[in-house]
Amino acid sequence: MRLLVVEDDKDLNRQLVTALTQAGYAVDRAFDGEEAAFLGETEPYDAVVLDIGLPKKDGVAVLEAWRKAGKTMPVLILTARDTWSEKVRGFDAGADDYVTKPFHLEEVLARLRALVRRATGHASAELVCGPVRLDTKASRVVVDGAAIKLTSHEYRLLAYLMHHMGRVVSRTEIVEHLYDQDFDRDSNTVEVFVGRLRKKLGADVIQTVRGLGYLIAPPGG
Amino acid sequence: MPPFSQRSIASRLFLSAALWILLILTTAGVLLTAYFRTTTEHAFDERLGVYLRSLVSDVAASGDDPKSEPGEFGDPQFDLVMSGWYWQITRLDSDVKNIRASRSLFAARLPKLQDLGVAQGVGGARSGYAQGPDGRTLRILERQISVGDSGLYLVQVAASTEEMETQIARFELALGVTFVALAAGLLASVAFQVGFGLRPLRQLQMAVGAVRRGEADRIAGEYPEDVAPLADELNLLISANRDVVERARTQVGNLAHALKTPLSVIVNEAGEAQGPLADKVREQTAIMRDQVAWYLDRARAAARAGAIGAATEVAPALGGLMRTFAKIHRDKTIEAAPVPEGARFLGEKQDFEEMVGNLLDNACKWATRDVQIAVARAPAAAGRQALDIVIDDDGPGLPEHLRAEAVRRGRRLDETKPGSGLGLSIVTDLAAAYGGALTLEKSPLGGLRAHLRLPGA
Repeated sequence: MRLLVVEDDKDLNRQLVTALTQAGYAVDRAFDGEEAAFLGETEPYDAVVLDIGLPKKDGVAVLEAWRKAGKTMPVLILTARDTWSEKVRGFDAGADDYVTKPFHLEEVLARLRALVRRATGHASAELVCGPVRLDTKASRVVVDGAAIKLTSHEYRLLAYLMHHMGRVVSRTEIVEHLYDQDFDRDSNTVEVFVGRLRKKLGADVIQTVRGLGYLIAPPGG
Repeated sequence: MPPFSQRSIASRLFLSAALWILLILTTAGVLLTAYFRTTTEHAFDERLGVYLRSLVSDVAASGDDPKSEPGEFGDPQFDLVMSGWYWQITRLDSDVKNIRASRSLFAARLPKLQDLGVAQGVGGARSGYAQGPDGRTLRILERQISVGDSGLYLVQVAASTEEMETQIARFELALGVTFVALAAGLLASVAFQVGFGLRPLRQLQMAVGAVRRGEADRIAGEYPEDVAPLADELNLLISANRDVVERARTQVGNLAHALKTPLSVIVNEAGEAQGPLADKVREQTAIMRDQVAWYLDRARAAARAGAIGAATEVAPALGGLMRTFAKIHRDKTIEAAPVPEGARFLGEKQDFEEMVGNLLDNACKWATRDVQIAVARAPAAAGRQALDIVIDDDGPGLPEHLRAEAVRRGRRLDETKPGSGLGLSIVTDLAAAYGGALTLEKSPLGGLRAHLRLPGA
């Protein structure tokens, strides 16, 4: 799962990025509206945390531009202005949820989890596929009742595939959602991660669809 | 009595006009009376002069002939005793007592003006007033003539001034009555002029009052060209006031942003850390957050109270809120009955959204599944229109004794539900600022019914 955090306050931006990275997301950051608008239009994010009061370009304008360009990723807006007028403005621009400042990071994490889940069509915080259970709240994976230790990249890969259960995900798509933009990407490493996951979870959880990519089939499917 | 500087323009205009009218009329009256007196006196003297000249010519013709009878004017006034009309001829150059007089004078004698020290006028005649033998004031005309050897005579004609004085008095009375009537008429017309002339000012006063009470958003109507600039300036002042309010509101928003972001940073920095310092930071930042929210709401409410005359279309404002709540509370069914055509709230859109938003939010938090909102027009006092906004939920509701408590400022009934606890009391404050009200009732859906009444159209 790859996220974009847009917040002009450097400390708050750092805190958000740290917390989200710890929660197992690949995170890009932007500090002003123009940068955010560019990143949101060019990179495939799974969700965006967007501050409304931004320098250079207002958060609402950024969001409107994204929606006009056909970008449908869930957007969580952060706003200090907690009037209903502001909220209506944000939602009408295309926001999916809002958090009012000052906030606790846990609240942002919870809302983001819910948004990502909803965007991929899952109702529960726990994704299940056969013996594998992925707890998005705690970023933990359990196989046959035993907790499995995963590196952050392994977790991200598994979480992305499980969120898109039943769909073939291409290697390029995985790369785009696995790494933040500063990472030196190499699609060959995807094969390495898939290999390690198969070793830890069992060989048949992740199937290879030749020439197309990888697939986690829903249980019984 | 207030000092003159504080008296109304109307009384200033009226008093100064009254002063002038009285001054001018009095002066005119005095001058006219004096002129009339002079003219009347002159005419009287003319009459007396005719008799005098006649006597003089009689004396000159007959000389000292005792048999001749001068003064046969054919005027009975001179024959009736003490009629007030007299003549007298006195020989001055002889020791012989030689006086002839009109019969009306009987045995009495006229006083001589030359003895009373009256100066000689043109042609050697004297005229003046003197006390007559009958006690009345007489107008006397006298002339001294010398008839060659026949001697030196003083010829006198006198008449009582009664007739003349009566004439003058009658004139003065008529003049007085006329002038009093004139003054009254002038003062009445001044009063009317002042009232008529100052009417635009009173209209302006009413218009400003209407703006202050929020019945109008600007001073409308036609004003005469000397008052129109004032009305224009007032309109500019009103819009400047509106700008100030708008600016204050913006600055409040900016302040919120400026304070809340660092607060977030502090809260998150303390994060999950253990220890007294982290605990203290968490505790104090929570207090700061509540205080900021409370005072920002106060500031917003104050800014609202200053705003004048605005109207909000209900349907689009409610539509925005419905879209928003559909996203926030996806698990609840929120239904809005059709809004009456063209329904408007007489106030700011933000305030409408704040009130209805808080009520909807509250209803959605508590509802099991259903939330309903209906807007209706209702007649209000003094022929005004009101809007009734009714929001129902199927939640647990609120016992009757807690309903009044819930709409009181800053009261938080359930600490476990999210929200600052200001929601309902803010609605109450806002509604009150617009002259509306919020009441809580039992809903037919089983939960709580919030009934918001606002000024509308």
